[in-house]
Amino acid sequence: MMRTRMPTTDGRSTGVADSSRRGFLKRAIGATAGAGAVLGSGMLAALNSQAKEAGKATNTKPIPIGAGVPLTGWAAADGIEFKRALEMSCGEINALGGILGRPLEPHFEDTKEQGADNIIPAMQRLIDRYGVHAIVNGYNTGAVTAEYDTIADAGIIYIHHNTDIVHHSTVGKNPKKYFGIFMGDPAEYWYGEGLLAFLNGLVKSGQWKRPNNKIAVVTGSQNYSVVIANAIKAKAKSYEWDLSLFETVVVPISEWGPTLAKIRQAPPAVIAVTHWVPQDLAQFMLQFTPNPTNSLVYMQYGPSLAAFREIGGKATNGVLYSTVIASLRDKIGEDFNQRYKKKFGPSASPLVAAQVYDSAHYYALAAAIAGGTGGPGEFDQNRKVADRLRAMIYRGVMGTTHFFVPEQAAIPYPDATNDPSLGMPHQYLQIQDYKKEPELIAPPPYQTASFKLPPWIKA
Amino acid sequence: MNTAVQILVSGLTLGAMYAISTIGLSLAWGAVGVLNMAQGGFLVIGGYAAYAGATYLGLSAPLALALSALAGAAVGAATYFFVIRFMLDCDNFETNVIIATVGLALIFENVILQAFGAYPLRQPVRIEGGVNIAATYVPYESIAILAASVTAMMAVAWVLARTRMGRAIRAVSQNRAAALLMGVPVNTVYLQVLTISGVLAALSGVMLSTITTLAPTMGYDPMLKAFIVCVVAGLGNMYGALYAAFALGILEASVQFFLGVRFGFPAMLLLIILTLVWRPYGVFGRGVTQRF
Repeated sequence: MMRTRMPTTDGRSTGVADSSRRGFLKRAIGATAGAGAVLGSGMLAALNSQAKEAGKATNTKPIPIGAGVPLTGWAAADGIEFKRALEMSCGEINALGGILGRPLEPHFEDTKEQGADNIIPAMQRLIDRYGVHAIVNGYNTGAVTAEYDTIADAGIIYIHHNTDIVHHSTVGKNPKKYFGIFMGDPAEYWYGEGLLAFLNGLVKSGQWKRPNNKIAVVTGSQNYSVVIANAIKAKAKSYEWDLSLFETVVVPISEWGPTLAKIRQAPPAVIAVTHWVPQDLAQFMLQFTPNPTNSLVYMQYGPSLAAFREIGGKATNGVLYSTVIASLRDKIGEDFNQRYKKKFGPSASPLVAAQVYDSAHYYALAAAIAGGTGGPGEFDQNRKVADRLRAMIYRGVMGTTHFFVPEQAAIPYPDATNDPSLGMPHQYLQIQDYKKEPELIAPPPYQTASFKLPPWIKA
Repeated sequence: MNTAVQILVSGLTLGAMYAISTIGLSLAWGAVGVLNMAQGGFLVIGGYAAYAGATYLGLSAPLALALSALAGAAVGAATYFFVIRFMLDCDNFETNVIIATVGLALIFENVILQAFGAYPLRQPVRIEGGVNIAATYVPYESIAILAASVTAMMAVAWVLARTRMGRAIRAVSQNRAAALLMGVPVNTVYLQVLTISGVLAALSGVMLSTITTLAPTMGYDPMLKAFIVCVVAGLGNMYGALYAAFALGILEASVQFFLGVRFGFPAMLLLIILTLVWRPYGVFGRGVTQRF
């Protein structure tokens, strides 16, 4: 049964927005009719070629597109990957003939330490200084949709990956105003409910026998972590789990002793740490493993960074984590991963870059189908582009991008749809050897390895 | 029993981290009235210097530590020559120094960011392993930080109390004009204090980064905690700072366990308020340091 829920900002599911397979199929058919096919590059090239042959590709003026991302500050490492990804995808799109003969020209503004005070001016500069037709972003934190009005006033397209449930309510409640604003990844909310479903899947498939029904949740104080923790808390009962601990830690944190003492007093079957900073999480594992409990350890985001394994070393073996947005390990994903590393060096991070790479490609495709892009103030043309984006089913390096309507946020698979061709895979990974890349253990059909019991658990 | 040991170990680890972060700040602030807001930056530079020495130059741990100390001394001296020196004769010296060193902290952070990137790094200069005490794992690093913080605090206290340089520092601290008239080379005293403060901060940065990990922003939290320790202890009392650091560490760990981790830091802030109401000069403070 397909579950397509429309979550609210407090992490509760308000019900079924479009629960029938028929509804999805109708959209899928509509999208296919509109988008023609999901083989993005080939289709874009074909559209450009057709336009050229028909004599419609006469305007070769570059199309400015932008990104307002953290090029300095604590998130600069990711921001630099976003910049690289947009440059790379623009290069590839231009090699295919741009958008109906017009090449893309990327521009960047630094959102520094992020927050509304940095993000809004950065977006405004992209619009005023460069007249960008679209902003294709990685993530920013701290603005909580405050930049939306700046972009809505200009009437341009904005695709971001802020992984923020507030996007659902902001756009869902006012789709006319925010017609051009899309979140290219599923909201963080899905991490919470998705984890419970994943754990029950491990039990049902016989891969893990849980010693009890207790789950200990440790969250950081940032909104991202709190939303996920609250989602676990809200849904635990319905998945037959009891919350044994709900602890909020102040970050940064390197001394986990008091938290571990509480966990050890009532050992749970699962420890879910929704705080995400890799070095803090590595310290947790270094302090947990010398005296472990018989628990699975799930952590948020941090283990996806090599720093977690480098700092935690052997203590990180067995840790589970998940991501709703990363390049896959299949042929399409690996091809991108290798090309990206070849272009930017072995230390470059294609897993992070993939979000901007895919978004730039499907934006170009949607704009080409819509008959071209629109600059600031060209609302009608940009509405056509937004219509195509809403209807699109795009298979990229991260799997499928397809949007909730009217929320315009990516649909996660299997959390909100059981059809992998209609949702972005919520990938579950496990560190099985800290010297190697983590193994993708779910969901099917994308997994490349099986779940293994962590070394500290006695079978 | 195990829980009590765990809380004690956590408290001592936190206390040692606070103590070692405090030494340099307490020296500069307590001795010569320089509230160095770039102290966190000194820590970061020290940590990265050791990392660069071990990773890029292939230095052994002692040599990497020496390089870190050298970097700390250079940064401390540069802070004197390029910032503090020009403000000594200005009105509102203490306030100007705070503002100037805030700017310096931003420069340090961004230089490190440009040089090493924002990616968190593992400090290679470290002591591996640990020991189990009543089912509680205590890393050797924590023990080393505890020993180093106590030793360094006592050494600085001894230098201030028993040496010629210490007397000169105390003289400048009490009355700069009078010290100048008595032939104390005041400018040299400032240079010495900032250089020593830089060395101590840099070495602290190496040790802290083995637990908290190297990152351009790693200095903020230790700086904040050091500030709290200085306020609670009172200025110019090294032993007081040592006691305050460990008391705060144990208080925080206890509050974290019994009330919740999120209440640990607010409890420390509450303690500051109570201390300032009860003893405005700090628990071990004796009065206002004046400078004319």
